[in-house]
Amino acid sequence: MDVANPAPSITVRYPGTLRTYTRGVSKLMVAAADVRHALDQLERDHPELYRNICDETGTVRQHLNVFVNTENVRELSGLDTKLAPGDELTILPAVSGG
Amino acid sequence: MAERVILAIGTKKGLFVAEASKTRRKFELRGPFGSGVPVYSAFVDTRNSPNIFFSSCNPFFGMKVMRSKDLGKTFKETPSAPAFPKDDGRALANIWSIEAGAAKKELLAGVEPASLFRSRDHGDSWEMVEGISNHDHARKWQPGNGGLCMHTIIRDGNRVHLGISTGGHYMSEDGGETFQASNSGVGAGFTPDPYPEFGQCVHKIARHEDAPGRLYMQNHGGWAEWDGPGGRRPDIGVLRSDDHGKTWRSIAKGLPSDFGFPIVVHPHDPDVVYVMPLEGATRTCPGGAPAVWRSETGGNTWHKLNKGLPRKSSYFTIQRDGMDVDTLKTPALYFGTTTGQLWMGREGGEEWECLFDSLPPIHCVKATVV
Repeated sequence: MDVANPAPSITVRYPGTLRTYTRGVSKLMVAAADVRHALDQLERDHPELYRNICDETGTVRQHLNVFVNTENVRELSGLDTKLAPGDELTILPAVSGG
Repeated sequence: MAERVILAIGTKKGLFVAEASKTRRKFELRGPFGSGVPVYSAFVDTRNSPNIFFSSCNPFFGMKVMRSKDLGKTFKETPSAPAFPKDDGRALANIWSIEAGAAKKELLAGVEPASLFRSRDHGDSWEMVEGISNHDHARKWQPGNGGLCMHTIIRDGNRVHLGISTGGHYMSEDGGETFQASNSGVGAGFTPDPYPEFGQCVHKIARHEDAPGRLYMQNHGGWAEWDGPGGRRPDIGVLRSDDHGKTWRSIAKGLPSDFGFPIVVHPHDPDVVYVMPLEGATRTCPGGAPAVWRSETGGNTWHKLNKGLPRKSSYFTIQRDGMDVDTLKTPALYFGTTTGQLWMGREGGEEWECLFDSLPPIHCVKATVV
């Protein structure tokens, strides 16, 4: 494996409403060792999608949750949560109403 | 094309567009656009072929600016929205006002946290206006209950007036490059100093182009009973300036309350001004009986306009951009309520009828004739 340029092996999933920013594509593949770098890659390669997920300060928007597989990164190490090949990174709106 | 009245109605659940002929007998409603997402600002740009802009304040995915080139039949997101520079430390929380800038395709947007953005390409890209966004006072402004918002942008030649809650009135005399706080006579009830240099909770400012130098302001009133440090502050809620906003004086005498949010000037007579007094404690119609109050003397005297409005049991709020007037020869006034009714007052507010009674809570109403 090329350590400097690892193969994209992390699947990023996001709500259908955001597919308008990825030309209708429902999931993306990124190469990243942790959540922060996965989001960095989205910022670089898909800036319109990224703006929906993070604000100008790089903070994940308040009412979104980020999961690695089934675990919310808030319960893990936040943006420093490690990723392993084959992991799924899922971005979902928090439950809300009104 | 014959003249059409267009109402852009920003609600808690998206933007609606209502359209009627100039008789205003029947309004056709379209929308919601940006469905499910709050809309706090809308702007119908009539400088060329009409474009409708609105801000979509998405609590999940951030702020969007939407644009229609077909009079509000379809909308498309602009390529970008205002955003603070990455190293600024602030993040956009809302867009409270969109107005025309000086150049043909220039737009100005007032945002939360209180800052000003400029687009030179009709909303495709945006830049922060440093002169106010990084003003020495900017980090000292405090949010009110509605957030720290820049809600009013008024251009007057080389002057630019801004209304900030809670920051006060700021004025530029160099086309918007530099700004100064200009609040002499603008009171505040929530600080020991009744007349601070800045920090007032200005709710809305309005002007008429035929009255150079004159401005009207709905300020945060309701402080007549205060008996703490600094003493009572009656009548600080409705104000007027005759020197381009350098000094302000009260014109609240005769109103049932000096608290309210919107203030609107008649399109053809700068002496005619409208407010919607609310109870300061509840932000609802005094006694549950809504009424618009009109002055035909630039604020010296006021009288009530409530023919056709409910006489009891109505406890809604009209938000700062919830009232507007169209520009037909005999204009109609409009207001939208937090309980989802859109009212129209024919003959400048003489006789009211409810156009729509079950919209989502209304944040803003913009009336335009195209």
